[in-house]
Amino acid sequence: MTSPTRARRTVLAVLGVVLLLAAAQVVGRTGVAGPSWPPMTDVVAYLLDETRRATVLRAAGATVASAAWGLLAGVLAACATAGVGLLLPPLRPGLDRLAALLHAVPVIALAPLLITTVGRESTPAVVAGLGAGFVVFVAVSSGLGLGGGTSTHDDVFTTFGASRVRRLVRLQLPRAVPTLLDGLTLAAPAAVLGATIGEWFGAPRGLGVLVVSAMQNFQVDLLWAAAACATVLSLLAYGVTTVAQRAAVRRVS
Amino acid sequence: MPRTTSDVTTPTLTLTPPPRGAAVALDAVGKTFGLARGRSVTALQGVDLQVADGEFVAIVGPSGCGKSTVLRMVAGLEAPTEGTVAVEGRAPGDLARSHRLGVAFQEHALLPWSNVWDNVALPYRLAGRPVDRARVDALVELVGLQGFEKARPRQLSGGMRQRAAIARALVLHPDVLLLDEPFGALDAVTRRRMNRELARIWAEERITTVLVTHDVEEALFLADRVVVMTGRPGTVRHVHEVAFARPRGAELTRSPEFHEAVDLLTGLLDAESTPA
Repeated sequence: MTSPTRARRTVLAVLGVVLLLAAAQVVGRTGVAGPSWPPMTDVVAYLLDETRRATVLRAAGATVASAAWGLLAGVLAACATAGVGLLLPPLRPGLDRLAALLHAVPVIALAPLLITTVGRESTPAVVAGLGAGFVVFVAVSSGLGLGGGTSTHDDVFTTFGASRVRRLVRLQLPRAVPTLLDGLTLAAPAAVLGATIGEWFGAPRGLGVLVVSAMQNFQVDLLWAAAACATVLSLLAYGVTTVAQRAAVRRVS
Repeated sequence: MPRTTSDVTTPTLTLTPPPRGAAVALDAVGKTFGLARGRSVTALQGVDLQVADGEFVAIVGPSGCGKSTVLRMVAGLEAPTEGTVAVEGRAPGDLARSHRLGVAFQEHALLPWSNVWDNVALPYRLAGRPVDRARVDALVELVGLQGFEKARPRQLSGGMRQRAAIARALVLHPDVLLLDEPFGALDAVTRRRMNRELARIWAEERITTVLVTHDVEEALFLADRVVVMTGRPGTVRHVHEVAFARPRGAELTRSPEFHEAVDLLTGLLDAESTPA
């Protein structure tokens, strides 16, 4: 990629965001979408106040912590489950179906179960982990080639008499890294949003709590500030993991 | 085929000992692949082939004649549905498991995350042996890649990648070398140059080699014997003894004897592919 086209793409991306914000500002200013759509400048002004900003940032810190724990637990659980599938091939179809089933159950249906089992404090992390874990599980499984199908690389390893462990270490794991990180780029924002939603079910702190409370008290500016903060966190998570993913792809291809 | 009724353990073991000096022996080999809805296709039928120790045999034939299947069976990647395949008198997979087989495929299949040197050294690591650095260096030089040790496969040309793959196949001093159209994806000029280099490398190593190709000139230039296969089901149509003296150079390919042999084998292939 040459630098002029990259610069052009950056300009276009910034322009797109500016246009979107400007449109939102116009809608808010004219009031065509009703009183629950404020002008964007009001949301920014709301966050300029130090105590209010501190409230939102404290909530964001709690959400980030829940999302991070959930992401970590989800990635570990996904890798462990994929590892079981790797060692015990007959279990693979069952594990796939279990993961799909868990993913298909709406969070709202799981909420009462989670509140009584893991408690209100841990529910955000668990909801974040469920969303992130499923994506990572699918990515790792396909990266390890658990879906069947062999490449010439597999044939090469067979003809050199590679043992299962050496095949895993020298072929399957390095080959799975870009797909795993691909999964992470989707799992990280999913964890942030999962944590926010998980906070709706009675968590003590977090952006989700702010959203619920702002909705019930008709604090439109707070509602939008919390939502904007969750969106920015989600985008940041995506950006960071994408950088890691690109670096890995450069390394292994 | 007469069979002795002695201890039969697995169907891939030979029941009659192969002829003396036969490193690779295919005896009445057939291969049927199952298709959907109970149908099946016979890829190979009644293939007999013996490769002597230290011999270079080329198998030529049109696409889909089953020549790659023959090679994959010798490599232990596929099992025959009829007959027996023996390498050094044992099941083909045994040779791979004891790290004495070298294979180069049409796709170079180098590890993209490793550099040339590490790719050539890979068989040592897969065999769990300490890497013989001098041997790896020597092979990198033999295939003309010195100076490119630290390059990754994607930084190399197609010909260089294939040379690295051949070095990797040779590094452990294999008893048997299998080449499945290793230059099939290269242009004609690069291909001829690679053939001359392979002839030079082979002259230094003298390994029992089976080469699969669709290129009659390549087969005649490199091999001691050329096996002509014809398709559906694949069978051995003709075995041609190549009498040209070694070392063989580019001038051989311009000689009338060479052209005569090319015409003969091409004629055999063309006759078979014309619909009856």
